[in-house]
This record gives sequence, structure tokens and C-alpha cells, in this order.
Amino acid sequence: MKKFSELSTRLKIAKKKANKNSLNNDKKNTSSLGAALKLSTEMVAAVFVGSIIGFILDNWFDSKPWLTIIFFFVGATAGILNVIRSAKLMQKNND
Amino acid sequence: MSTNPMHQFIVYRIGPEISLGNIDISFTNASLFMIISALAIISVFFAGTRRKAVIPTKIQLLTELSYTLVSKMISDTAGSKAKPYFPFIFSLFMFVLFCNMLGMLPYSFTVTSHIIVTFALAAVIFIGVTIIGFANHGVGYLKLFIPSGVPVVLLPIIVIIEIISYLARPVSLSVRLFANMMAGHTMLKVFGGFVISLGIIGGWLPLSFTVALTGLEILIAFLQAYVFAILTCIYLNDALNLNH
Repeated sequence: MKKFSELSTRLKIAKKKANKNSLNNDKKNTSSLGAALKLSTEMVAAVFVGSIIGFILDNWFDSKPWLTIIFFFVGATAGILNVIRSAKLMQKNND
Repeated sequence: MSTNPMHQFIVYRIGPEISLGNIDISFTNASLFMIISALAIISVFFAGTRRKAVIPTKIQLLTELSYTLVSKMISDTAGSKAKPYFPFIFSLFMFVLFCNMLGMLPYSFTVTSHIIVTFALAAVIFIGVTIIGFANHGVGYLKLFIPSGVPVVLLPIIVIIEIISYLARPVSLSVRLFANMMAGHTMLKVFGGFVISLGIIGGWLPLSFTVALTGLEILIAFLQAYVFAILTCIYLNDALNLNH
């Protein structure tokens, strides 16, 4: 039983120390690094998918290169939308 | 060993060639490292849950902390409805994490630096989430593509944009993991090559860079596994609770 009470006092001291060293700040740094890595691919992926869809539709309707061009821009729009959306989500999580 | 920085990503066959029809299903170094990471996960968790002490040992603490991390991640992002999917997300997170971390060992092979592996994982998630969405909401799941409060005139364009952004999910999920792992390992190898070519006089600077980059790579290996799992939770949240 003595061991347990010793452990709980030690835990208390450690918790105090952890609070002092502003653990939250550290946590925020890691998650914002993750966010930065996340945002960059979001944009690229949508443009890529849009262009692929445009290319496939072009092959179907034999209308090269118009649908590829149109869907490239639609994909870019979708990418911007995705980036804004995940940025909004991050903001909500930070508040 | 070759100084070509891309040499580390070569997949080669181990043992005899096995083919099923036209498909080559031989055992490769990639399959070997997937099996190693799966076995590593099983043995760590077996050792961690063998003795359930009140004052945990280090390995028990590790398993308990990873359990809490994933369970908190699921309840924070996807709510209580996502609890039944805990085993899937937990094993996904652990698999990606162990593949990334095993890749950090010298002479090992990073499975997640191949886009086919990450894309297969992302495709499973994408198809699974779509099925879950349709099973829970029926045709109503298509409402995901129609944001509320959009004028009817703009609707055709918006729907196309929404569909593209939905289809972009597996691509961005897989490209993110693959690109981060591949870029990091290539960079490490390039700086390692500088150490050799500059010799004992000038090689100290790239050597210190390599040490620092190794630390960064370990952080990224964890972070990418975390991001992969948390995005799966976010997609699952869309499928379980339609909130558009």
C-alpha cells in the first residue's frame, strides 16, 4: 500500500511540472505540422482527379482536348474548396 | 551497396517465382516487411497485455497509451457511433505506424514508400466508407454532394465539384503518405551519399544533417500514421452522421 501512496505523490509532482512546461503548446506544434502536410496534397489530388476524369470523358466523346481543359479547372476549384474546408475544420478544432 | 538514392525502393523477389494466371504473386521484400510489421504488432501487444499490472510495465504502458490515443481520436472526430469501427482504425493506424517505423531501421525496406501499398489501403477505406454511408442512409447519402443553401442554377456545377472532391479523397490520402515517406528516405540517402563523397574533412556537416533529418523522419513517420488514421475517422464521420 505504501508503494501506491508514494506513486500518487510522485504523479502529483509530475503533473504539476508538466502543467508548468505548457504541454499544450508543444501539442499544438505537432498538430499544425500535420495540418501543413495535409493541406498541400489536398489541392494536388483534386486537380489530378479532375484532369483524369476529363481525359476519360474526352476519350468517350471524342472531344479532345476540351473536356480535359474544362475538368482541369473544375478540379482546381474542387481543390480550393477542399483546402478551405480542411482549414475551417482546423480552425474549429483550435478554438 | 549502391549510392543511388532510389536504390532503396527496389522491390525484388525472395524465393521462387509464383504466378497466378498472368499475375505475378511471388514473395518479395515488400511482402516480407509487411509480415514483419504485422508480427511485430502482434508480439508487442501480446507482451503488453499478458500481465495486467496496476503499476504498468513500459510495454504495457505503450499498449495502453496507443489504445487511448486511437479511442480518443475516434470519439473526438467521429462521435460515439464510430465505436464499432475501432478495431479497423486501430489496426490501420498500427500497421502504417509500424511500417513507417521499421523503414527507419538501416538496411530495411519502407513498405509505405510505394504508392501501390498506400493506394490499396486508401481504396479499401474509400470503398468501405462509401458502403457504410449507403448502408446507413440509403439514397440519402447522395445528399453529401448537395450542400445546403445553394441556388438551383449553380447546382449542376456544384454537384460535379463535390463529386470530384469526394473522389480526390483516396488520392490525397495515399499520395500524402507515399510522398512523405519517399521524399524523406531519398533525402536521407542523398545526405548520406554526401558524407561518403566529401570524406573525413568535409563530411561532418552532411553527417550532422543526416542525424537531424533522422529525428525529423521519425516524427514524420508517426505523424503520417496519425494523419492517415484521423482522416479515416473524418471520412467515417461523414458516412455516419450526415451533417451537410
